[in-house]
Amino acid sequence: MKRRIDLGLLYSRSGSYSLISEACRTGAMTAIAEINADPALDIAFVPVERDPQGNIDLYAPLCEEILRDSAARHVVGCVTSWSRKEVIPALERCGGSLWYTVPYEGFEASDRVVYTHACPNQHLLPLLAWTFGAYGRRGYLTGSNYIWGWEMSRLAREVMVAAGGEVLGERYLPIGSTEVGRMIEEIEVTRPDFVLNQLIGPSQYAFLAAFRDLGRRDPHFRPETCPILSCNLTECELPAIGPDAAEGLVAAGPWFRGAGGWPHPGSFGSSHEAASHATVWRLARLLHGRAGAEALPLAQLLDSPVNAELGIDPKTHHVSLPVLIAQVRDGAFCVVKREGPLAGDPYLARGRDIAAAPHLRAVK
Amino acid sequence: MRRRLRIPNLGGARAMILHRPHPVVQALSRQLEAIGLEVECHWPDLPGAAIGADYIFFDADLGHDEQFPWEPGTAPMPMVALVGSEAPGRIEWLINIGADAQILKPVGDSGAYSALLIARSAFEARNALAAEIADLKGRLDKRQVVVQAVAVLAARGKSEDEAYAMLRQLAMAWRVSFEIAAERIVAGARPGGAEGAHG
Repeated sequence: MKRRIDLGLLYSRSGSYSLISEACRTGAMTAIAEINADPALDIAFVPVERDPQGNIDLYAPLCEEILRDSAARHVVGCVTSWSRKEVIPALERCGGSLWYTVPYEGFEASDRVVYTHACPNQHLLPLLAWTFGAYGRRGYLTGSNYIWGWEMSRLAREVMVAAGGEVLGERYLPIGSTEVGRMIEEIEVTRPDFVLNQLIGPSQYAFLAAFRDLGRRDPHFRPETCPILSCNLTECELPAIGPDAAEGLVAAGPWFRGAGGWPHPGSFGSSHEAASHATVWRLARLLHGRAGAEALPLAQLLDSPVNAELGIDPKTHHVSLPVLIAQVRDGAFCVVKREGPLAGDPYLARGRDIAAAPHLRAVK
Repeated sequence: MRRRLRIPNLGGARAMILHRPHPVVQALSRQLEAIGLEVECHWPDLPGAAIGADYIFFDADLGHDEQFPWEPGTAPMPMVALVGSEAPGRIEWLINIGADAQILKPVGDSGAYSALLIARSAFEARNALAAEIADLKGRLDKRQVVVQAVAVLAARGKSEDEAYAMLRQLAMAWRVSFEIAAERIVAGARPGGAEGAHG
């Protein structure tokens, strides 16, 4: 007989970043179905879903609603750092925990959150190191106007300046805005070696389309000489970007479709889907065979021999992940560099220096 | 003035917590260890070895001067006060002991990282200002010597402006401060002094 355990799901099913949250939700729901059908596990999850519809002000109240109106103590969800930071006080008030399954900018280690995706030592730093060696150190920074873009750019600036590179410009757009003209003009004039892109949703799609057009006017802005870099781009957004604008995009992440090394055997539409799927399975393994464990605080839940296999660091609640850098070629991500696995280091306690190969470029 | 925050590398930094055994200590230790610091807890006093710590977190509610192996206001590292009671007498004490930042009790899931950065920044700014003030004070004290040195040089038939310019040139040539150059000139002009001696 399986223990039935309420599990909160807090994903926006509409709004500007719904492609990512839908991918995450699909992964979580698939895992729940597998776990519920698995006779080897003594638990079954009952999803308790709330949909903030992409409205930042609905996350905290809906998270609180899950924790108040159901027996759920664990919530899987949020796909932006802004929303994650919004729900942490609600988790503290109600004694809940959040499983956050997408990449973020680091510098956080809440006792109430498990961070199962990459932080900058697992995405941004290796991506910049590779880019410095392959393209150069002069970059343009862009992002949506909230904490992900701000903090990623701040760290990128620090690393670029320390490596003798140059930040040629830095510009942000409000979430949802598609007014990318000024960014494109600045990029055209400053001619960087790469563009670091932390735009999300429609802003990103508009920017990538405009950049493709720029590349048609001026060959410098093609992927061979000026790639666009992302730390959160996965397969789930390629259809929205379209094949022309997607070609040549470079992304860092722990997994890419078809690259092997998926955290759990299965067929996934995207890396985001796989990450949420793996996360729900991690939670299931921690709860299996431990009656009442679902009510334990995270510190106690993670203090188990099972967790040693799952690799969730009991101090930081971050995980060890492979580091892949991949480029879109003929419509699919193709891995160009693989390293790791690397333990998540949210406060960069092990340093932020990057070992970049010297940049060799033919003299023109 | 706008400062670009230099993020200190906190991995392996040593923090000491001066607080009686209490959930505050556990919550704070958890945060500091997650950030990458090594944590030691002490009560009722800090040991002499505290002088080697990179950060001190201390209880402002039960604290008193004798718990610290240094004089109030002279801690050689940033200090963060753990504040429960906001009674004015306690606030006054934590200011005097030399808190660079504070965390309010009860300590929960956050607060340590910003306290670390703010305390480090305030500590460094305070030290830099103190060094600058000491330097300026020293220069003020030597105004009289500068006047005397200009007079010595002017006595050799130069105008005051020329004498002042010469003093500046000598200081540059000797690679010493203006005030030290003035001291040498005045010493050299005294009976028995070696004119222009420097070394």
